[in-house]
Amino acid sequence: MTGAALRRANLESLVEAQGATRATPPLLLSADPYFDLAGEEFGRRLLLTTDASGAEYCLRPDFTLPIVADYIANGVGEPAAFSYLGAIFRQRETGAAEFDQGGIELLAQRDGDVALDQVLTFARAALSIFGVSPVVRLGGVGLFEALLAQADMPDPWRSRIRHRFGHTEALDRLLTRLELAPDLPREQQLSRDALVADVTEQMVAAGLSLSEGRTPEEIADRYLEQQALDAAHVPASTLKLLRDYLAISGPVLQALTRIEGLAAEHRLMLGAPIRAIRRHLNGLGEARVSFDASFSPRLDYYTGIVFEMTGPNGDVLASGGQYDRLLERLGAKAPIAASGCAVWVDRLEQEVRS
Amino acid sequence: MTGITLAVPSKGRLEELTRDWFAQNGLTISRPGGARSYLGAIEGLPDVTVRFFPASEIARELIRGNIDIGVTGRDLIHETSETGPQSVAFAKTLDFGHADVVVAVPDAWIDVTHLHDLADVASDFRSRHGRWLRIATKYITITRQHFAKAGIAEYRTVESLGATEAAPASGVADIVVDITTTGSTLAANNLRVLEDGVMLQSQACLIVSRTAGWSPERRASMQSLLTRLSAETSF
Repeated sequence: MTGAALRRANLESLVEAQGATRATPPLLLSADPYFDLAGEEFGRRLLLTTDASGAEYCLRPDFTLPIVADYIANGVGEPAAFSYLGAIFRQRETGAAEFDQGGIELLAQRDGDVALDQVLTFARAALSIFGVSPVVRLGGVGLFEALLAQADMPDPWRSRIRHRFGHTEALDRLLTRLELAPDLPREQQLSRDALVADVTEQMVAAGLSLSEGRTPEEIADRYLEQQALDAAHVPASTLKLLRDYLAISGPVLQALTRIEGLAAEHRLMLGAPIRAIRRHLNGLGEARVSFDASFSPRLDYYTGIVFEMTGPNGDVLASGGQYDRLLERLGAKAPIAASGCAVWVDRLEQEVRS
Repeated sequence: MTGITLAVPSKGRLEELTRDWFAQNGLTISRPGGARSYLGAIEGLPDVTVRFFPASEIARELIRGNIDIGVTGRDLIHETSETGPQSVAFAKTLDFGHADVVVAVPDAWIDVTHLHDLADVASDFRSRHGRWLRIATKYITITRQHFAKAGIAEYRTVESLGATEAAPASGVADIVVDITTTGSTLAANNLRVLEDGVMLQSQACLIVSRTAGWSPERRASMQSLLTRLSAETSF
C-alpha cells in the first residue's frame, strides 16, 4: 500500500479505534431538518432533489445531524459515542461537491472536559496521519456568554449582542450603533393598548392573519422595547469592555492572561470558563495554539469551547467543539452534553501533495 | 470561428428599448422572421449573429459562455448564479429597465425599520412561532447573499414566481424580497421597504461574457463592436 491508500487505511483504523459505534447514515436525507437547524445560509450549500410528492431531499451534507437525530429517536440519556468516515456533499466555491469527512460525536458523556479532550486528540491524530502539525485556533463561546451575562447593560441588549457573536461585521455594526446612541428626544408615547389597536387595524386592513405570524401584541411589545432600548444606553465602559475583549487574539496563554486582566478590571467572574480552556492546553502538546475571542461558528447551539485546526496551506482541516444545545434544538427535552469534530479528508490529502 | 453572438431580449418593452438603443448607436437590428423568429442580424456587421432570448436566459447563457454579448438586467446576472458577476463584464449601463431589489415588510410591523431590526425579529421567530421567518421571493441567490452579509441566518425562503407582493396577505410568507421601480405595488399591498432595504439597484446593461472562448480574432471583433457602441470593458 502506498501514499494516499495507506493514509486512508490509517485514518480508517483511527476512526475504528475510537471505541465508538461506526455510524453510516443514508446518503439521501430529508432536507427539512437541515434548513430547520442551520437556515438558508447552510441550505444554499445543499445538493437538493425532489421526489414525486414534492418532498425535498438532500445528499448527506454532514454526519452530525443524522447521527444525533438517530440517537434522539432511540431515546436519549445513555452516554453514546459515534464515529464516521465517508462522503458528504456540499456546493463549494472550489473543489468537488463530493468529498470525504471523518469524525466523532460524543453524546451525553458524564465529563464534558474528558469528551472534548478525546475529540481534540482524535483531530490531532487524524492530522498527524497526513503529516500535518496544525495551528490550533480556540474560541470560547462559554467564556463570551459568561462575560455577557455579567457585563453591565440593560438586559434586552444581551440577547441581541449574543445573537451576533461569531459574525464580526454584524457585531461591529451593532456596537458602533450603541456607541453612537444619540439622545433622541422622546416622542409622545402611545400606550400599549393604543399601539396594539393601531397595529391590529393595520394588519386587518392589509389582510394579514393576526395569529399565523407575528401578532399585534408581539409587534407592539417589541416597538416599546425598542423605544426603551434607544433610551437605555449600554454604558460606555461596557462597550469598551466588549470591544477590548473581542479584539483579543493571539497565543493562547497571553490571550487568556489579557482576559484575566479585563475580568479583574471590570470585576467579572470568568475563572471557570478560563480554567476550562486551560485544562485542554496540556492535551494539545506542542501544537501552536491561539485563542481568538471573537471566534465562534454562526450556529447558536455551540456552547463551551470551539476549535479549528489549520495546516500550512491555511485551510481548515478539522473543526469542532462543544454543542450542548444541539440535541435540544433537534427535539431532546433538555440540553445534553455533546462534543465532536469533523476532519476534511480532501484538504488533508491536499496538504500532503503541496 | 470569428463570429460573435449577440443576445437581445425577445419580447416586450425590453426588446423595443434595446433595439432603439442600438439604433441610436447607428446599428440596426433586423428580425427578418418577425416576433416568432429567434434569429436576427445587424446591418453591415455580418460577423455578428443576433439571437432573441428571454432576459433570464440571456443572463444564464452569458454566465455559461454560450453567448458572447447580450442585453439583460444586472439583477438577473446576480440572481442566476453566485458566480454570475465574476463570469461577465458589464460594458455599459443602458439607462432603461431600472428596478431595485428590495426587502419589504408589512406596514404594520412598526418596530421594524432597518435590517438590524429584522435580524432581531428573525433570531427569536422560531421560538415564538414554531417556524422560521418566511421570505417570499424569486431572488433567492441575492436574498441569501445579502442576508448573510447582514448577519440574518434564521429564515426560510419561499420561492415565488409571480405576485410576490401578495404573499404576506395570503399567508405564504411573512415578508418579501421583490423588485420594484416606484414602490407603488408594494405600497398598494401595505408593504414598506426597509430604510436600508435596497439590496441591488438594477437596470438593463450591455454585458460581455468572460467565460466564452476568446480567440485573438474574436476578441478583436468584440472590441470593434464595443467601440462602435461607445462601450468599454475588459473580458
